[in-house]
Amino acid sequence: MLLTRRQFAACMPALLGAPAFTFADSASPLFLSAASDSADTHWVIGFEENGDQVAEKFRHALPGRAHHIAVNTALGIYIVVARRPGKYLWIGDLATGNPLGQIEVPGDRHLYGHGIFETDGSRFYTTENAWQLVNGDSGRIVTWQVSRHGDTVTLDRGAEFPSYGVGPHELLLASSRDVLVVANGGIRTHPEQPREKLNLNSMQPSLVYIDARDGMLLEQHFLDADWHQASIRHMDINASGEIVMGLQYEGEPFDRVPLVALHRRGEAVRTLWAPEPQQGQMKQYVGSVRFDASGDFFAATCPRGNMITIWATASGEMITSLRSRDGCGICASPNGFLYTAGTGRISHYDPAADSITEFDTTATGKVFWDNHLSAWGVS
Amino acid sequence: MVYNENRSQLEKLIMNYKHTLLAGMMALVPLTIAQAGDAPADNYTEINLAVTDDQIIPRYAAFATASATLEQVAENFCATPGAGSLEALRVGFHDSMDAWQLIQHVQFGPITYFNWNFRLQYWPDENGTGARQLDALIAGKNTDALDSESFARESVGVQGFPALERLLFADDTLAAMQADPFRCDVAMTIARNISEIATGVYQRWTDEFRTTIASADERGFFESAEDATIDFMKSQIEPVRRIQQQKLEDVIGESASAVRVRRAESWRSARSLKNLKLNVQALDTLFNGSGDVLALNTMLLDTDVATINEKFADLHTTLDALPDGLEAALEAPDGYARLQQVVAGLDAIFEALEAALKNTDLYLGFNSLDGD
Repeated sequence: MLLTRRQFAACMPALLGAPAFTFADSASPLFLSAASDSADTHWVIGFEENGDQVAEKFRHALPGRAHHIAVNTALGIYIVVARRPGKYLWIGDLATGNPLGQIEVPGDRHLYGHGIFETDGSRFYTTENAWQLVNGDSGRIVTWQVSRHGDTVTLDRGAEFPSYGVGPHELLLASSRDVLVVANGGIRTHPEQPREKLNLNSMQPSLVYIDARDGMLLEQHFLDADWHQASIRHMDINASGEIVMGLQYEGEPFDRVPLVALHRRGEAVRTLWAPEPQQGQMKQYVGSVRFDASGDFFAATCPRGNMITIWATASGEMITSLRSRDGCGICASPNGFLYTAGTGRISHYDPAADSITEFDTTATGKVFWDNHLSAWGVS
Repeated sequence: MVYNENRSQLEKLIMNYKHTLLAGMMALVPLTIAQAGDAPADNYTEINLAVTDDQIIPRYAAFATASATLEQVAENFCATPGAGSLEALRVGFHDSMDAWQLIQHVQFGPITYFNWNFRLQYWPDENGTGARQLDALIAGKNTDALDSESFARESVGVQGFPALERLLFADDTLAAMQADPFRCDVAMTIARNISEIATGVYQRWTDEFRTTIASADERGFFESAEDATIDFMKSQIEPVRRIQQQKLEDVIGESASAVRVRRAESWRSARSLKNLKLNVQALDTLFNGSGDVLALNTMLLDTDVATINEKFADLHTTLDALPDGLEAALEAPDGYARLQQVVAGLDAIFEALEAALKNTDLYLGFNSLDGD
């Protein structure tokens, strides 16, 4: 089953060293996202583009609200990661969507909604909270050994090392498969006050590069002290190793702070500004960032500002913005970006043609798409 | 705060509009459309424009007019500071604040440009930042800080109604102003700045934003007419909860002994409850319209509209019996209980609106409501 198709993964952050992915010769990738409905049931939904419609491929109920879905092309599985402060990892089969089991993190840990597979699929990494530690070192990176035999998938919880900060959120694998890049959001939370932020005056978000073999800190970058309340939450990496970060500012709504930044190892963080009025309309909040397939452009979604911003990587300039009420989930797709919204809408933007296609979502119905969209391309 | 160059350039352009504006305010003809039957309406564009033309633009026009008067009476007072001119200035403050409270519920569109909303009213100011900054500004005696462009770039804490109220409603206001003309210049500058912002918001609505609403499409600021309707509906429902929590619950606390009057919105000018009465009046009008003009109630089922209007009626009854000042209300033996009744009344409206929205296709937010 796994080897009969040519496969590639996208929207799990791309990997250097892996063949550059392209959708150019692909029929339709499978898109995966968490979603909720008005009865407060939480789902993982897989869908494809079919002309101007979406075709739902599968839908399975989840134990709670989810956040990101990590795709493992090599083993043909996906893992749905529980949203903070959830504890479950829910495993499914990419080809059929079928559930293959679930696992929970230990009682004194919870997840932050993100995980990433190594290229060969044998390892999975999660960001977690050792919430009993309150001295600024509660962020954890956990290594999982992954194997699959038929419909039996095994996730063995292995080494755990510090994230060198508080509130680690999205994580990536950098140019070398042995280097993890982690966004330490900086915000301390406690599962007994699930959505309360406990350290807004002292938070110190950072971007760190960690040796995935032994957990050693390789590089750590902080924003300017004035912007210490800009939580680094979401990231993506392109084929040249450039990282884009999306920030969420916890300070005053009228402060002017950067919400998007770029970084290359060994260099300083490059903070980016949208022109007015878009900078103000971002409402201090970027929900997801993704490069397009070329890596020359990236999108930063602004669900509070009801807007998707599209940027040129080289110049660091915002080139356009698209209205999307509660639009947050986004990923590279053939000829641009596919994006989803809390309204249930699914749209495609083609930067070359500067055109938007809105899909008929009769098949997926009235669901609230969650923050992140993933894809698995099949020929 | 960091501002980029574009911002000050744009703002300069807007301020230049100002002097041609007041003459240009024109009477707006309300759009009258028959009420829908029992099914929720989906004529989004008509509803959007009816609300815009019958409510939003006239209210911003009234705010701009009242604020221009405020600017004038502030100038008069500083030219001849005396008891009479101070009284006229305080009346000007009240009139401008009345007009602002009647449109404060709209938190989308031009009011969000250039931080205009925060520059009009930086509140609540939990750390007393505004007071410290205002004291420093007055002590600094730097006249350059008071020209329009410079002042617009000052901290939000020294701009807007809270700063002006602090200067105008102290026991020693008259003596302090007479003793220190710079203090009066600061008050005059704040009044002029309010007037410039009010004019700018009005101008942007008439020059651009009405068209933005009328021509909503996927490449516009609004992706559809329904998208714009949602912003109006958010202006209907979100302020109900906000005023319940910020204007009352945070002030009256859990018990009569926990009341913190100085957390109230306008305790110095003794009009905190008047603000709330005006807010509720504006929210009622946004929902029901005036006369036969289309309003947001047509988006909901008739049975839900009836329930919501019962809640509005209850709240009006409670509010009508209260004075304008929160301290005055608390002097009555049952004052605290009556304020609790207002909290309950706002809560009931919020719950009824939220329940009613579930019977429609309108969707107000999901990802945007919680950070992650």
